[in-house]
Amino acid sequence: MVSDFFFPNFGGVESHIYYLSQCLLKLGHKVVVMTHAYGNRSGVRYVTNGLKVYYVPWRPFLMQNTLPTLFLTLPIVRTIIIREKISVVHGHQAFSTLCHEALMHARTMGYKVVFTDHSLYGFADAGSIHMNKVLQFTLADIDQAICVSHTSKENTVLRSGIAPEKVFMVPNAVDTAMFTPSPKRLSCDEIVIVVISRLVYRKGADLLVEVIPEVCRLFPKVRFIIGGDGPKRVRLEEMREKFSLQDRVEMLGAVPHAQVRSRLISGHIFLNSSLTEAFCIAILEAASCGLLTVSTRVGGVPEVLPDDMIVLAEPAPEDMVRAVKKAIDMLPGIDPQVMHLRMKKLYSWDDVAKRTEIVYDRAMQSSTTNLLDRLPRYLTCGSWAGRLFCIVMIINYLLWRLLEFLQPAEDIEVVPDIGPLQAQIQRDDLCEAQENQI
Amino acid sequence: MNQEQKCEVPCGIYTYEHHCRMGVDIHEIFVKKSRLRVVLSYIGIVFLLVNVSQPLLAKESLSLGSVWNITFAVLVAKCFQYKPVKKESVVIMPAFGVQVEIHFWSGRVDRRFVPIGKILKPLINECVTPVTCYWSLTLLLRDEEELLLVFQKSRPPVKMLVPVWKALCTLTNSEHLGPSIVDEPNSSEE
Repeated sequence: MVSDFFFPNFGGVESHIYYLSQCLLKLGHKVVVMTHAYGNRSGVRYVTNGLKVYYVPWRPFLMQNTLPTLFLTLPIVRTIIIREKISVVHGHQAFSTLCHEALMHARTMGYKVVFTDHSLYGFADAGSIHMNKVLQFTLADIDQAICVSHTSKENTVLRSGIAPEKVFMVPNAVDTAMFTPSPKRLSCDEIVIVVISRLVYRKGADLLVEVIPEVCRLFPKVRFIIGGDGPKRVRLEEMREKFSLQDRVEMLGAVPHAQVRSRLISGHIFLNSSLTEAFCIAILEAASCGLLTVSTRVGGVPEVLPDDMIVLAEPAPEDMVRAVKKAIDMLPGIDPQVMHLRMKKLYSWDDVAKRTEIVYDRAMQSSTTNLLDRLPRYLTCGSWAGRLFCIVMIINYLLWRLLEFLQPAEDIEVVPDIGPLQAQIQRDDLCEAQENQI
Repeated sequence: MNQEQKCEVPCGIYTYEHHCRMGVDIHEIFVKKSRLRVVLSYIGIVFLLVNVSQPLLAKESLSLGSVWNITFAVLVAKCFQYKPVKKESVVIMPAFGVQVEIHFWSGRVDRRFVPIGKILKPLINECVTPVTCYWSLTLLLRDEEELLLVFQKSRPPVKMLVPVWKALCTLTNSEHLGPSIVDEPNSSEE
């Protein structure tokens, strides 16, 4: 698994990589994660169940992204792939430069590559246009791709021009064992609406500034708990001051993920005001804790929860207030325990891992082609971009051959395979039991 | 009693030798001299001398351009500098300690002795750099934050590190089986 985004940084992509890796380890596969160094966290680390993580000492330069160097990451990617006996390289997130470079190098070296897109992107602004061109380059020669919702699949196919048959839809999931409802049902005398998100533009923090005062005005027994931090926090603080809502709107600041569940179970309704979401794991976590969700109808959100667990609204203040009213009316009929049990059946990371395994099997079955056969695929990316991409791949190929000459693959020592940690502990226990019997 | 056992294992540019003498366990890694690097180091020195002597011989005043040239030549000479290592050895003296030595072709020898009580654990560590990843043998020392690299200048293959590591483990285990030592609790990772 390759991405710029992994723990200790926290977010949806990071959780996805972690949980998917853990479930793939349980299925008996070998999983190695490669990311960039975070501060002093550099080198090899082993996390739960012996999941090996390479924190390569390339410093991030912009929004946790490694500096794009095109070819300088080839030696370390090659070394890791050879020493760990990797067969499939799985990149995550279109915004990750390390992901794109690693997939390019893996493809040059003849390995199978899979890409998962976690976010929706636009088509019109300069940043999106460049991002889409990079995505076109990466997906021009991909074996298989995965998207987290049907909306995301449509978005990825349109942005990159990849054949839809190559794109699988495997949704995210939620750790229902961690997100359990409160054992004691909350009283409905006071309705608590919880908001936990980064307070940034794309998460709809500006919408919240419009919605909260109106809801507080219409429903005297409603109060809000807002967790999260970001540049828009100042606007929310100003709103509190302006409408004197200090006793009805509680600002928690940044909430560590370990405390999210305890904050969620203190509420009845979870409010999500995102302006764009490919999937939205946050509403899964809220539903698993037994909260009724009110969310904007954007991106892949309508695909996430059944209609009786979520009230959707257009990303406009009036419609959101209407949706909150509808949710408050629905509350007496909501049983958090029943909701939690339904979520357990609907979403599990084991299911995501099994479906991802199918994608890997399909990728392994795809034919191995040489450079000359692969180059025409890049020409479809554009009249000038296509030629540029071909030149980049030719240079990458030549550099790879040079590395093969300077440091043959046989000279790179393979890491001994010790297997997942649980299997190791069980083997040790078995040996001890056998020794005791003797 | 003089007892000498010798075992030699070559691999690429490294040759591993192990011998015991008078109860002392000696593990040595010999490194083949790289002729290419010797030539490059001479080229770097010549390049530096040319850049330094040019403004002197031309009898010009020291301009900004010549300062840049000299600075660049110093950097090139530094990059190409080659202090060839002849061998690196680990001398294990039971119940006493470990001495790590670096022998250069110039005749210089760097030695560092680590008393046995200072060694917490020998480790085979995976080191990751921006361009590569390799195995190294290190010593975890008590009351010190940094690991001590046993082979500081060379990167021998892991199959050469394993017997040295096992010998160091035997040394530290025999020390721990002696008078009881209260281990400090491991600090958790952040």
